[in-house]
Amino acid sequence: MAVNLPSYDLPLAEVLRAANDLVTARLIENWALGGALAAIYYVEPFTTYDADIFFIPADKGLTAGIPAIYAYLQARGWQVEREHLLVKGFPVQFLAANGLTEEAVREAAQIDYEGVSARVFRAEHIVAIAASVGRAKDKARIEQLLQQADLDKTKLENILQRHNLKLTML
Amino acid sequence: MTPEMRQKLAREPFAEKIRKVAQLIRLAKTFPRRQQAAPARPKGHGN
Repeated sequence: MAVNLPSYDLPLAEVLRAANDLVTARLIENWALGGALAAIYYVEPFTTYDADIFFIPADKGLTAGIPAIYAYLQARGWQVEREHLLVKGFPVQFLAANGLTEEAVREAAQIDYEGVSARVFRAEHIVAIAASVGRAKDKARIEQLLQQADLDKTKLENILQRHNLKLTML
Repeated sequence: MTPEMRQKLAREPFAEKIRKVAQLIRLAKTFPRRQQAAPARPKGHGN
């Protein structure tokens, strides 16, 4: 029996374009795609329900400029639902980077996604961040990256050492 | 799926992988996983 699935497109290009617009508007200094979607850049696709945009705040105050970021995106039709901003119903989290995630933003890989200039965490940083969080799904992500991504082991060991992290799988 | 097939999927262009993620989300929304059923009462209990 044929099943008609409702059409669904993941509006990633719009998310990435909006992040670039936030830089142009000087609301953030820099950004990169992190989380599951960044992992998918290096490994096989899997189900995920949101996008994580890590940013270096332009506003170094306590709020990291988040109210201004929300106001800017809401004025462009994005909706707020708890900790997420929604674009075409797709949840996006804007997370202020610090420490390891700030380094991951600064050293992110430059990519082109459907004509949009974008930045994505490097695989070695995704592994290190997952090691620092340490939930079951982070351990699974590490294993997947070790199996499927072309990791620079020296770079990874360097990141782990500098951030005092350990990876039992290595 | 064999490790070779998974590796092949991993090497697809990012835009293609994102299209597959959208398909996975669509499937998950169309066929949500059932909640695990509560354990059945032992026979003869309470009747």
